[in-house]
Amino acid sequence: MSTANIQPVDPLGQSTGQSTFRSKWSRIKSGIMYCVCAGSTFFILSLLVLVIGYLISIGFSSINKAFFTMDPIPTGMANAPGGMRNALVGTAVLIFLASLIGIPIGMMTGVYLAEYDVGSRIATPVRFICDVLAGVPSIVVGILGYELLVRPLGSYNGWAGAVALAFIMVPIVARTTEEMLRLVPDSYRQASIALGANKAVTILKIVIPSGTASIVTGVMLAIARVAGETAPLLFTALGSRFSPITFDSSFPFMHATIDKPFPSLTAQIFSYASGADVDERRLAWAGILVLIGLIFFVNVSIRFATRSKRST
Amino acid sequence: MTQLAAEIPPPAPPADISIRQRTQFLSSDLILRWVTAGSAVIVILMLSSLIFVLAQAALPSIKAFGFSFLVGSEWRPNSLPGDPMLDAKGHVVIEDGEVVTKMIPPAFGALPVIWGTAVSSILSLIVAVPLSLGAAIFLVRAASRVLIGPVSFLIEFLAAIPSIAYGLWGLFVLCPFLQAHVEPGLNGFFEHVPGLRWLSSTSGALTGRDMFAGGLVLGIMIIPIITAISRDVLRQVPRAQIEGTVALGATWWESCREMLTFSRSGLFGAIMLGMARAAGETMAITMVIGNNNQIKSSLFAPAQTMSSLLANEFAEASTEIHRAALVEVALVLLLMSLAFNVVARYLVVGKQSRSAAAH
Amino acid sequence: MLQLIKRASVAALTSLAIAGTCFAETRLQGAGATFPEPFYKRLVAEYQKLHPEIQIDYQGIGSGGGIKGITEKTVDFAGSDAPMSKKEIEAAGGAANLVQVPSCAGGVVPAYNVPGVTVDLKFTGEILADIYMGKITKWNDPAIAKVNEGVKLPDTAITPAWRTDGSGTNYVFTNYLATQSEEFKGKVGVGKSVKWPVGQGGKGNPGVAAIVQQTPGALGYIEQNFADSNKISYGAVENKNGKFVKATPEAVSAAGAGAVEQFEGTVLAANLWNQAGDDSYPIASFTYLIVYKDLSNVKSKEQAQALTDFLYWATHDGQKFAKELDYAPLADGVTKKVDGALESLTYSGAGMKPMAAK
Repeated sequence: MSTANIQPVDPLGQSTGQSTFRSKWSRIKSGIMYCVCAGSTFFILSLLVLVIGYLISIGFSSINKAFFTMDPIPTGMANAPGGMRNALVGTAVLIFLASLIGIPIGMMTGVYLAEYDVGSRIATPVRFICDVLAGVPSIVVGILGYELLVRPLGSYNGWAGAVALAFIMVPIVARTTEEMLRLVPDSYRQASIALGANKAVTILKIVIPSGTASIVTGVMLAIARVAGETAPLLFTALGSRFSPITFDSSFPFMHATIDKPFPSLTAQIFSYASGADVDERRLAWAGILVLIGLIFFVNVSIRFATRSKRST
Repeated sequence: MTQLAAEIPPPAPPADISIRQRTQFLSSDLILRWVTAGSAVIVILMLSSLIFVLAQAALPSIKAFGFSFLVGSEWRPNSLPGDPMLDAKGHVVIEDGEVVTKMIPPAFGALPVIWGTAVSSILSLIVAVPLSLGAAIFLVRAASRVLIGPVSFLIEFLAAIPSIAYGLWGLFVLCPFLQAHVEPGLNGFFEHVPGLRWLSSTSGALTGRDMFAGGLVLGIMIIPIITAISRDVLRQVPRAQIEGTVALGATWWESCREMLTFSRSGLFGAIMLGMARAAGETMAITMVIGNNNQIKSSLFAPAQTMSSLLANEFAEASTEIHRAALVEVALVLLLMSLAFNVVARYLVVGKQSRSAAAH
Repeated sequence: MLQLIKRASVAALTSLAIAGTCFAETRLQGAGATFPEPFYKRLVAEYQKLHPEIQIDYQGIGSGGGIKGITEKTVDFAGSDAPMSKKEIEAAGGAANLVQVPSCAGGVVPAYNVPGVTVDLKFTGEILADIYMGKITKWNDPAIAKVNEGVKLPDTAITPAWRTDGSGTNYVFTNYLATQSEEFKGKVGVGKSVKWPVGQGGKGNPGVAAIVQQTPGALGYIEQNFADSNKISYGAVENKNGKFVKATPEAVSAAGAGAVEQFEGTVLAANLWNQAGDDSYPIASFTYLIVYKDLSNVKSKEQAQALTDFLYWATHDGQKFAKELDYAPLADGVTKKVDGALESLTYSGAGMKPMAAK
């Protein structure tokens, strides 16, 4: 790396007028650029305030108890428009199912990339594919889900939605896991193997536990990412006015309906935001705010978690 | 998380490893190896199924239009009547709500949406790159320790806001604002500066929902990703490199510039990834770009991107060829994001080897 | 930490597995047109009040989406603002295998944002066609001024706004304009999605409404009940008899009454645009419910019976909710044709009788 474009300051030359002018100009320019950089940061943060502020200003008044406790009620009936309980439950179940599918695959892939075959003929393309998959537009994933799991099964369903979300989670989890495991010092591994543990035990008992905090961060980020996804759900889970989980008095007291069209917060927000009903549109704004609140909560807890890790 | 250290179990002392234990170790090692390798294979299957399924579903369109799909500029899902079919009395036959004629079949050319995606992504980079690099430099070189954490967090949070929220904000706040306060002035400027006329509105109508608004919203949306990656890239510049320049008397900005030069390929990678994100963005762009499949040089003409076309039409495409054409657009989008990633990755790898050489 | 996650997921998985194993209920899924969505949502909720054991859901994904859903058998019944076209009927197995009945009717209105104009503007089909072809570009065009005598029209550019999604609204509007202008028929054509030569696209009614509300000089076509519930002003349109009529449920019903003769067989379809009659609103259409004639695709006899009952109820007792929500209910003559079509429903060959008719 050349240093040609750094102006070396000749200590002897500092006394000449020209040099003083040049270094003064450099310092002024440096000051200006400092302000530009600080200004950019400030500008970006003010954008955040603008967007969030707007969403709070129109959505906050619509968040009430009914939003969390009631299913949607059509216009003209008592208590309309009800709430978005079905969608909240739906998103929770979708994320749970997507995590069940996506996190093990993602983590295992990450382990494979970091611990086995680091530079092998499989690992390099897999790493590359993870990067590519992370960049696949989510609407394309939705189309895949439709062709693979909706058309053949004869109904929009929760599984298709969960698989589409898992599809988005896998590359994120895999790459974070790999990167985090890389950060675990090699001395841990060497120590473990020196003590007679084999590779599997070393990975499961030493390497992964040391990286857990960071891996959890990656997983939570993946969850936060898919919680806000709309496009892949429109063609897979579709939406439903019913809560996917119902309770009753007969064993096993809880029923889940996953093989049918499935509600989700984002799809319902999209449908309400583009619908005709004024009350429903207010619900949509409240829904966006709740969604952002959830994502904010996840982000804050990650931050809290990583900070406390740093302090230990 | 604080009990992390406590959770690391003390390694079991394998003072006396019997044969049995040895084989057990061997098999557990094999199992884990195969399980993880299996997951890696699933990842490969994911991409191949994506390409295979899309290609399969797009086949009717690929067969019907071939290469002209990519360069055709007309996207018309309906048939057009050629010569109307006349009945015995010489009247136009209307049946089933459609005029019965020798029909000109639907035409599907993806050039307008490829153009829309390319131009809106480039515009978004013009918006996002200076701001993101400025913020990244600020975070790496200027901000005090107290600031770095919260500011990075807030910028990353900007990335976590669902795209549908940006879309609604863009539609109801940004677009009316642009229409009333920004576009008239900018349009006047373009009209009066020779050489820039082609950027100005041709019809005279400024709507606030056009290529300009689309580029702006995309730009806002990719700021966090470019900022975060550039920040990480800049952090990896060896300390000695900066200290060296400062020791040689460089000002703050000069040493920053040296950092930028040093990590330029990594920064290009960050920009490419931002661009890939912009190209695939769906929900927000659909709401602000005006959704017109046309190629216009004006910044203030409504346009359409590949993903907004999919969002608008895929759920409703009831004819086979229309659906196949949309899936082909999805395929083109996928291949484009693949290409972006190849380039971005090449740049990042290139950077790594270079920085290794510099050590 | 890892232990905690492990334990939590095992517990949740077990409970989910138990929960998922036993459950049998009658659940039907419909999807399609967004225009009647508020009506259908109300219908299914009211029907559940009467029959709590039967759960029916309807998702508004667009008319094209509904027809695609019934063709690919991903839904039990479809909603569409446009009757199925010949090709679509063919793709779904032919007219002999389908039942399509109207459920209510509605009008499409020209909404506008003209600075300084407070009275309702009048439009003719020809004016609307010329605007959407880019031949009329200013609000003070002589053609518009001629039918709006006494209104001071500004020299503002017209921004035509249209639906980007494959909607029944497009279908109705383009078909109406095609009856008014041969040139429109040849240049733009008709259908659920067409290529508009000028203007700006919005997704769904709200997309078009947002363009109209935010852009001085914009003109868009939206559904009448959407315009009413969102307090968007719209103009009157000249009908076949040369009268300027503003869209109301009554004016749409008036157009519907004259269309009964067009209904034939089990796939009922009628064009409501440009109907004769002094009170008829010219840009109107029925919205349809579509099912397979043999309901084997809904999986059980109970489900098929429930669907038959619901369709019967929706087109009879359910009609009172249409009016309440600003839709035009079916006229008596239309209902008779609907009865005829519904009586042809079967399950695995055995005839289905709606409960109420038994």
